[in-house]
Amino acid sequence: MPHVIRLRWLPQAVLLITLSALTAAACKGNGSGGGGGKQEASGNTVRIGVITSLTGAQAAFGKAHKLGYEIAAAEINAKGGVLGKQIEVIVYDDQGKPDQAVQGASKLIDQDHVAILLGAYSSETTRAVIPAATQKSIPLLMPTATADNVVETGSPWVFRICAGAKAYATAMADFLKNNGAPKTVAIIYENTNFGQANGKAMEVAAPAAGMTVVANEAYQASSPDYKALLQRVKDKDPEAIYYASYLLDATTLMKQTAQLDLNPKYLTAAGTGFSAAEFPTEKGAGKFAEYTFSVSQWLPSAKWEGSKAFDDAYFKASGSHPAYHGMQAYAALVVAVDAIKNAGSDDHQKIADAMRKEHLDTPFGPIAFDAKGQNAHPVLVTQVQDGQFKVVWPLDQAEAKPILPTPKWSERK
Amino acid sequence: MATLFWSALQAVLDGVLTGSLYSLIGMGMALIFGVMRIVNFAHGAFMMLSMYVTYLLFDRLGVTPYLGFLAAAATMFVVGFATYHGLLRWVSERSEFMIILITLGIAQIFIGGAQLTFSGDFHKINTPLSSQLVHLGRHVTLNGGDVLSFAISIALAVGMFLFVMKSRFGRALRAIAQNRYAASLIGINVQRTQAVAFGLGVAAVGLAGGLFLPAFYLYPEVGGGFNLKSFVMVVLGGMGSIEGAAIAGLVLGVVESLTSLYWGNQWALVVDFVIFLLVLSLRPAGLFGSQRV
Amino acid sequence: MTRRRAVLAAAGFGLCLLVPLVVQQDYQLNVLFRLALFAAVGLAWNLVGGYAGQLSLGHAAFFGIGAYALPLYHDKLGIPIVLALVLVIVTAVAAAYVIGRVSFRLRGPYFALATIAFAEVLRLSAKNLDVTGGDVGLQVPALFGSTSPTRWFYLAAVLLTAAAFATTALIMRSRFGYELQAVREDEDTARACGIDPARTKLHALMISAAFTALGGALYASQYFFIVPDSVLAIDLSEKPAIAAMLGGAGTLTGPIVGAILIEPALELFKTVFQEGYQLIFGVLLVLIVLFLPEGIVGSIASWWRRKHAS
Repeated sequence: MPHVIRLRWLPQAVLLITLSALTAAACKGNGSGGGGGKQEASGNTVRIGVITSLTGAQAAFGKAHKLGYEIAAAEINAKGGVLGKQIEVIVYDDQGKPDQAVQGASKLIDQDHVAILLGAYSSETTRAVIPAATQKSIPLLMPTATADNVVETGSPWVFRICAGAKAYATAMADFLKNNGAPKTVAIIYENTNFGQANGKAMEVAAPAAGMTVVANEAYQASSPDYKALLQRVKDKDPEAIYYASYLLDATTLMKQTAQLDLNPKYLTAAGTGFSAAEFPTEKGAGKFAEYTFSVSQWLPSAKWEGSKAFDDAYFKASGSHPAYHGMQAYAALVVAVDAIKNAGSDDHQKIADAMRKEHLDTPFGPIAFDAKGQNAHPVLVTQVQDGQFKVVWPLDQAEAKPILPTPKWSERK
Repeated sequence: MATLFWSALQAVLDGVLTGSLYSLIGMGMALIFGVMRIVNFAHGAFMMLSMYVTYLLFDRLGVTPYLGFLAAAATMFVVGFATYHGLLRWVSERSEFMIILITLGIAQIFIGGAQLTFSGDFHKINTPLSSQLVHLGRHVTLNGGDVLSFAISIALAVGMFLFVMKSRFGRALRAIAQNRYAASLIGINVQRTQAVAFGLGVAAVGLAGGLFLPAFYLYPEVGGGFNLKSFVMVVLGGMGSIEGAAIAGLVLGVVESLTSLYWGNQWALVVDFVIFLLVLSLRPAGLFGSQRV
Repeated sequence: MTRRRAVLAAAGFGLCLLVPLVVQQDYQLNVLFRLALFAAVGLAWNLVGGYAGQLSLGHAAFFGIGAYALPLYHDKLGIPIVLALVLVIVTAVAAAYVIGRVSFRLRGPYFALATIAFAEVLRLSAKNLDVTGGDVGLQVPALFGSTSPTRWFYLAAVLLTAAAFATTALIMRSRFGYELQAVREDEDTARACGIDPARTKLHALMISAAFTALGGALYASQYFFIVPDSVLAIDLSEKPAIAAMLGGAGTLTGPIVGAILIEPALELFKTVFQEGYQLIFGVLLVLIVLFLPEGIVGSIASWWRRKHAS
């Protein structure tokens, strides 16, 4: 029955045409869409592209990021925007996945024709975006990625406003050396770009501060049980522990550290989860967060002008006080817009050039980039005291004295 | 030397406590797989849903998770029953491809729904019990909450086992598992029994979710990793053997804990899967099963 | 008749090769690249999952092997790109041999679970080993060095799809193709007819792995940079399987139709529904299983046959 076979192709052909239409629709997306050339004028706004993690395990940080960007955008637009236009911040979710971050970045660049990229949240996703930004010749301003490899790719298009893993480890080692000088340290880090970078950085910084690394433990994120890992550390009896962890695991780790009655004199951490706004609250590690030292990049009490105003705006919008992640997003947008203003154009090259010459005082401190695109940002050491992050180091910025040694778990109230 | 012993003992006990919750997850999957041959990729999503129910009960009404998990499991039974009745029943004769595809779809619906309803942000609860310590001698310390969860899980697991083995309903289930057609001939309402079985399987993972909450945290995609774990347990236990899956859960907990202690936490999951592959290739009927593949 | 089909298919792929004349924007080409790529991987999956009836949920293993082998051979061992691509295929085929020898002793869902486990072992190992750069990841060499590489990636992906399509079509007309289908219908009967089911399935998996690994290498090179979670994730095992099943497992055009549906659909849903996109995608999957149980192509074909049989 040849006609039957022949006709089987007809509905498939119809189907293919329908699907092509769908594909075309998807390619158009929501943006201005259509055809060739990059850098077409994007109407009456200046578009700024943001990648962050709104869903997935890092969503808590993504939420802080988004709020930071929104507060900055509202302030900038209230003052008239830039280049005589309002700014428009387009945010795409990377779900905490590197490939999604790259897809989002590619869409922001080619489809939405943004002037500059900001993001992503984690070191993993940020590192993945760099080659795409470099290849497309668009500036990428990184607010929070601490792994130092993000500024060591040799790309002329990357700029980072936060301090990195080396600065973290150095600051913490410096603090320890000047506050009792422990002899041994154990490092516990997540087996991701962020964790490995911070773990390695402490491995280098510790000997310089007179500490021997007695345990170096990588862990798999999102495990329910880290007690055996902590037991391993306990068997080495270190004087200090240095954790590098995102928020969710930070809560599990501290709770289980208490449970194992693991009592080093210093519980210290590479910021991130241990400095998230939620960490010392009931939503995070709660009372188990008490006395932990962590590096931090900014606190609402920071001396830089505008910190208080940001804190108020953030509190008004979310009902909680910001940690540095929200501020870094805020500062990133402020710097980006200033660079666009100084460039006098939304041309990528001009913005990157302006970025290199940037000298701007922000609530996150003065911002200027070195040849690698790194902003020299001072690192603070904080301690959770009565559920609040208090700056304890360096001395000229300290708000409180460190409580030392850390009370044993059994002796806490 | 003594320290080494106590460390190992501590790790084994902690592994058993966590493993008891894995057991419930595994039993749920074993029930669903054993009776209906459904490889349920929505298992972790059901667990997540149950955790949200437990969380809401705690957050809004102040119900402790150690009671809330029962309400959550009951809710999950209804959800499971309805899912089977509304969706899976219609596709039960389709290829296993299609059944896997539909469970993937169901998982996406629940995860996406949770994301829209609760946002992607995480939640965590603290109860007095979950930070209470239980000292066994001088060297071993367990978490009070974990111990309670363990006791509850074991009781539930034994109860479930007895129910499936001894009750009239359980016999109907096993009859269906052996031969669906013959079961219908002897007057068993196959579809309804299967719907109840699916509901029970989902309720089991719901129990685990509720009990996990105080020791863990919660966000829409939290269940993903537990899907794979439940497959591992079902295979180790012998496909469809619920007591096998329960034991496999305990084994998995201990293996993870000991791997963490002696090798490194980042290898724990790798070891899970390597054991899984070894068992599959050397003893496909499972470590504890006697079924022929 | 078959010549007609061949001409039609060739014309279709030819048209696809002309697309860059019309579509020049990188983002759009990128969506089309992914579409073509997953059509190719879907076709590769279909050989095992569709024609041989073995539900693999671990094709991410081959995809990731392809993605990692390219930078490892080229950058670490200094092997020239073309030779490295050949070695990518060799490595994937060898891996398929090992994985197949273990997994094909199992049937049905057991096989599916074994393949997942293999992919997960590879992903977690890549995360923790130094040679793969751990979770820090690896830079991937550029396969196309020109100023607009996306166009070339798209063309390469279309060619890969065409090659996978042609291979499938040829296999289906060969003795091997009939053996595969015999194994799918009933292994024991197939064995009684003198077919070695284990060997037949293994060969299908090895061919499938070769195409999947090439797809992985292309994907990795297009993204410049890989980490375990971007090329070995379970999503990547599910995607080709879903594409093939949606389109119609065991049909020649099914995986292509499936890829054309899900890649743009996911992209659209993400734009339109944002955080709710998973919900919509889930509903789509459920609806298709409920109403198009043989996949789109399969269901339409049988509907058409029924209509014209009467």
